Amino acid sequence: MNNFFIGIFTLLFSGFVVGLFGKNFKTGILSFLVAIGSVFCAIPAVKVLFSGTDLAKTFEFNALFGNVTFGIDHLSAFFILIITIMSLISVIYSNGYLKPYLDSKNINSHLVFLPVLIASMLAVVTCQNALMFLICWEVMSLSSFFLVIFESAKKEVLKAGIKYLVFMHISVLFIIMAFAFMAIKSGSFDFESFKLVLQNNKSFANIVFILAFIGFGTKAGFVPFHNWLPDAHPAAPSHVSAIMSGVMIKTGIYGIIRMIMLIGTPNKFVAYGFLVIAVISSLYGVLYAITQHDLKRLLAYHSIENIGIIGIGLGIGMLGLTYHNPLVTLLGFSGGILHILNHSIFKELLFLSAGSVYLKTHTKDIETLGGLIKAMPITAILFLIGSVAICGLPPFNGFVSEFLIYLGMFRGLEIHHFLAMLLIFLAISGLALVGTMAILCFSKAFSIMFLGLPRSEKAANVSIDCGYVMTIPMGILALFTLLIGIYPQFVFYELKLIVLSIFPSLKLDLVQVCAIPLNIMQVVAFFAIMFILFMTVLVVLKHYLLKGKVVFHDTWGCGYNRANNHMQYTASSYAGPFLSMLKPLFKKVFDIEKPKKLFPTSAHFHLQIEDIEEAYVLNPLLKFDEWFLTKFESLQSGNIQSYLKYGLIFLLVVIIASLFIG
Amino acid sequence: MILKMLNLIVLLFVPFLMMGLIKKTKAFWAGRKGVSIFQPMYDFVKLIKKDFVISKTTSVVFNIAPLFAIATVLFASMFVPLATGKALIIIPAGVIVFAYTLGLGKFMSLVAAMDTGSSFEGMGASREACFTSIVEPAFFLLIASVMVLTGNYTFGSLSHIIESAGSYGILITIFAVIVLFIMMLVEGSRVPVDDPATHLELTMIHEVMILDNSGCDLALYSWANGIKMLLISSLIACMVIPHNLPMLLHILCYLLVMGIISIAVGTVESGMARIRMSHVFEFIFVMSSLSLVVMSLVMAKMFGG
Repeated sequence: MNNFFIGIFTLLFSGFVVGLFGKNFKTGILSFLVAIGSVFCAIPAVKVLFSGTDLAKTFEFNALFGNVTFGIDHLSAFFILIITIMSLISVIYSNGYLKPYLDSKNINSHLVFLPVLIASMLAVVTCQNALMFLICWEVMSLSSFFLVIFESAKKEVLKAGIKYLVFMHISVLFIIMAFAFMAIKSGSFDFESFKLVLQNNKSFANIVFILAFIGFGTKAGFVPFHNWLPDAHPAAPSHVSAIMSGVMIKTGIYGIIRMIMLIGTPNKFVAYGFLVIAVISSLYGVLYAITQHDLKRLLAYHSIENIGIIGIGLGIGMLGLTYHNPLVTLLGFSGGILHILNHSIFKELLFLSAGSVYLKTHTKDIETLGGLIKAMPITAILFLIGSVAICGLPPFNGFVSEFLIYLGMFRGLEIHHFLAMLLIFLAISGLALVGTMAILCFSKAFSIMFLGLPRSEKAANVSIDCGYVMTIPMGILALFTLLIGIYPQFVFYELKLIVLSIFPSLKLDLVQVCAIPLNIMQVVAFFAIMFILFMTVLVVLKHYLLKGKVVFHDTWGCGYNRANNHMQYTASSYAGPFLSMLKPLFKKVFDIEKPKKLFPTSAHFHLQIEDIEEAYVLNPLLKFDEWFLTKFESLQSGNIQSYLKYGLIFLLVVIIASLFIG
Repeated sequence: MILKMLNLIVLLFVPFLMMGLIKKTKAFWAGRKGVSIFQPMYDFVKLIKKDFVISKTTSVVFNIAPLFAIATVLFASMFVPLATGKALIIIPAGVIVFAYTLGLGKFMSLVAAMDTGSSFEGMGASREACFTSIVEPAFFLLIASVMVLTGNYTFGSLSHIIESAGSYGILITIFAVIVLFIMMLVEGSRVPVDDPATHLELTMIHEVMILDNSGCDLALYSWANGIKMLLISSLIACMVIPHNLPMLLHILCYLLVMGIISIAVGTVESGMARIRMSHVFEFIFVMSSLSLVVMSLVMAKMFGG
């Protein structure tokens, strides 16, 4: 456990050390220090995962806090490994990404807050005292806020940052409420004491769970609390979006799993509600992802989708708990938890490759890109791997977790209860729809960005791929996606241990059913390996057999032989037929200038699709808020006498009130 | 072992015969003599032997996509009960591996179509992606309903519907056959969703996606498409052939069902025109609604007593 604290403190102070060095060494030194800190933090986590004994250290704080325990159990260890590995990869990548920004005025604060964010996330997933947890949580939110507004000179970045800050504080408000209720009932801030209170009082537990779900769900990005995600991710630099989307939003999921762990057996309606919200989130996320042409917004909406898929896994697991079906519990939770890992891998890969594209072309609008696979072959192939993985297609990792969740849902149908069965049926078709929509979305994103001909000067001017300092971290991530895809048994073995440690009381039941998924995993793994071998043979065969038989020619234009790059299919038209089917779910904002007169000089067409929640719920609320608050405008007169008057009135009210009440 | 080899032979060659039979049926309805039933196979051999022309715009993706198309259908076929009524790999939820493996092939063929930079091919890819996304949920719903009804989580459950649900089972089988038949028309890009024989690129879906493929690539694509149709037809066969028949009889029945399905496809193609593009959705939603009907029947059976 001491190693862990050494690691945390290394991370906390590394940013300040970096300030001492010249600008060319800053990111390099930071990567080195973060690597040291991560290794120190990861050692105890690996120990816990392989030895099976939990670690904990208790500090005696002042009377307010009580005893503060930092502990690493299997769940924490799993999250520690995700946080350390994924953050380290992003930080190494930032060596290349930040090069053009080294003269920026925000660079020093950026390099301070980056390791602080990592350290605070590590503290969040180990802390077992509610008050300390909230402090770490707040540090995490604030440090990520400063990372988001790196390019604070841009107005939209600042706007997105403030939106993020507001959402995070709404989130923390609900978490404080949940924790405060539990603390009042139990008389202590310790998670262990919460457990007793929650398990003895079921209706109280439901209220607390719902409050905590709103709080943690806002962080994770469940619909309808997702609105900050599609704004904050595009605003942040790519390596920060990668950490935020790949790792930080998972702390919200961590909080939810921790709550399930404290509650034990959830109420069935809580489980139903959770499952429904998860299915809606995944559909909503992928649907809006299809509409987006800003690459990073698209990826941000995909985060919502994947959080939804994780939620479906957890929801199925919760149904298994309520109906005492150990196999469904095991499959649901292990699928959900594995998807946390998988999503952090491929989402980080995609965000980093999006960053590379942005660095080379200075645009995030995919409609202006095209043909980049010629200039940036490595980035293109890595993005392709990430796309296939995020669609949940074999032989990559996304498939394994989705397969486990599907298996859990099929077995969940055995629960002989009308409403549960109906919901699971809907979840199955929902997840299938999400999968195919993801294929649509990523075939669009990949092909518009990397294939065909360049659609603008920006894309045509790219001549060289990014350096190794950027491609190697991405390559490692791509390797992870493949390894988990072809060797899922090992991962499942660890997952089993994590799920067992979450529900120690169900250990015996769970151990009995472990063999079923393990055997299936083996078959799937064998299948995946055979597929890869077969494909390799085919590719080699085609290469050698058909070597001299190829003639190159222009693309067939159906008789028209002056096709140019502006006649290619665009992202909007690719998504068009699908979106036309679902018109009522969007708010379309057109910006059209029609060609006028005989010899039109200019004309343009721009279509933007707004988030329906933002357009019909948030904006009216904000308008009302503004209207309501302007009623009090006159109070702020600006002269000091009237402020003194308010102070006097306030004092009088307090004194009089205390006379009556006291 | 012999049976497995037999399955392989069926998998590789019957798709050509089915294509030939469809063509023959269409010729019959049109009052022509038609080409030989083996013609698709000759075409295949002819295409394999040819050189091919590749667009200068394309990249490595375009080159490997046809290989993915054929490899994914071959690997997906391992989970489907073919002529002998038994799949090569029998695992619970094999349907997921089946569908997602086909999804991989689809993904690659979509991006390969976009790789040429031709707007015609982009149009085809866009439509194909769109239609698939409606087909898949309905298919999953159907299979999940059947699985829970029979308590068997492999594709084998399809052959136990009637025995585990009695009179409900007959209704469910009828609806399920219609659902799978529509799915086969969509996935195999046949009339009324798509018209493989038209010469107008604007109205095509799958055929326009492979406009720039030639020679060996084109041959692989059309073969993969045929195998995909065979796989979905095999699921239909699995439902309608009683599962306890003697092996030889089972194989004969299977071939018979394949023949009937091909004739049915040919008859549908002769009998009706391609639906207008904006109405294709409605046709595919018939499939979704029938899946919902199957689901309700299953739930009625389980809770209604």
